[in-house]
Amino acid sequence: MSGRQSLRHGLAPLLAAIMTGISCGLAYADDPASWHDIETKYIFGFTTGSGIGLEGEKEFTVESIGRFGKRDGRYRASETKYEFEFTPSQFVQIEFGALGSTHDIAGVSGLEDRRQLALSGAFAEFRYLALERTSNNPLAITLAFEPTMRRIDETSGERVRNFELETTINADLELLKNLLFAGFNLLYEPEITNTLTDETLRESKFGGSAALSLRIASNVVIGGEAWYLRHYDSAAFSNFTGDSVMIGPTLYVRFTPKIFMTAAWNTQVFGREVGTPVSLNLAEFQRNRAKLKLVVEF
Amino acid sequence: MTVASIHTKILIAVSALSCVISLSQVHAQQSITVEYSNGQFRPGELPAPADQPLALHVKNRDPKAMEFESKSLRVEKVVAAKSEGLINIRPLKPGRYEFYDDFNAKARGVLNVR
Repeated sequence: MSGRQSLRHGLAPLLAAIMTGISCGLAYADDPASWHDIETKYIFGFTTGSGIGLEGEKEFTVESIGRFGKRDGRYRASETKYEFEFTPSQFVQIEFGALGSTHDIAGVSGLEDRRQLALSGAFAEFRYLALERTSNNPLAITLAFEPTMRRIDETSGERVRNFELETTINADLELLKNLLFAGFNLLYEPEITNTLTDETLRESKFGGSAALSLRIASNVVIGGEAWYLRHYDSAAFSNFTGDSVMIGPTLYVRFTPKIFMTAAWNTQVFGREVGTPVSLNLAEFQRNRAKLKLVVEF
Repeated sequence: MTVASIHTKILIAVSALSCVISLSQVHAQQSITVEYSNGQFRPGELPAPADQPLALHVKNRDPKAMEFESKSLRVEKVVAAKSEGLINIRPLKPGRYEFYDDFNAKARGVLNVR
């Protein structure tokens, strides 16, 4: 299967979700003055907003992230979070769940061919609202810590023992009341991996994102985002191996008061691999990535 | 470091924590009430003091359940028909905080904190 066919397979469910979302959005279109406040956590795609939910609220979430395209061959991988979220206070949100992964790899340099589906690990996330938005302050900031354990390597699909700590600052700014929002993330993600050959690898990612989202109906938000990520072969900022810039569209649709989805697509438009003259960084990052998240509140 | 010095440090930390907790409870909780009848909040705009924890009593006079919800207050509570619900709210900064009935999109009100 060619890279273009692989891309089409990855895009199909996302496009279907977007079309469904837009149809629902048009059906619900109404007067902006009557719109309620919106939860910002999910409206920026891969960028996470500051929202932490409502005290006492519980959610079940399925979030799939697909990664498509390496330098050569066929590369399709995904990781799905089966997640329970709850908000025990007006400042804290806690999430935890299991991870599932799929890998479909053939003819990619440096990776073994593989087709597999696996239960790949577990994670938890702790979110603290450090600065809340009010009618007099449009900025909100949340600090998030997400420890993750994996038995399957995210990129190669090999059996490993991996521990990752994703640390983010999620900020958003209400530019136009209930209509236009800007989101910003700052990310630091160190990880340590023990391979089957007893090799220990340390690496980290550092970077940030900016996103802009416009509410076009009471239940539909569309937008775009840009990410800049740097990769290091160490937990601190030494042994820089490359970076990448990804951009793409985002969509959020609330189907009912308790059920909603978010979708996003990012394409790498710039990247460098240290020590090679090629364009794009397809060693540590992928050509494209997609996100589809379905949330049910109860 | 000796065991005695560790105990002393723990004692100091616990005392400091107790002080912080006591200070955070200096402001008594302010009680406010909103009624819900004929699918509307009454009053539609509710005054409240800033920087004080609030006990918001929601009295549902209607013959069906309602869900008091507010994204900016970060609370939600289902109140059964002909009954009352209590919602504890953190000390708020001055501003306007919208609330609504999640079961009835037209029912909405504002907590005006000054």
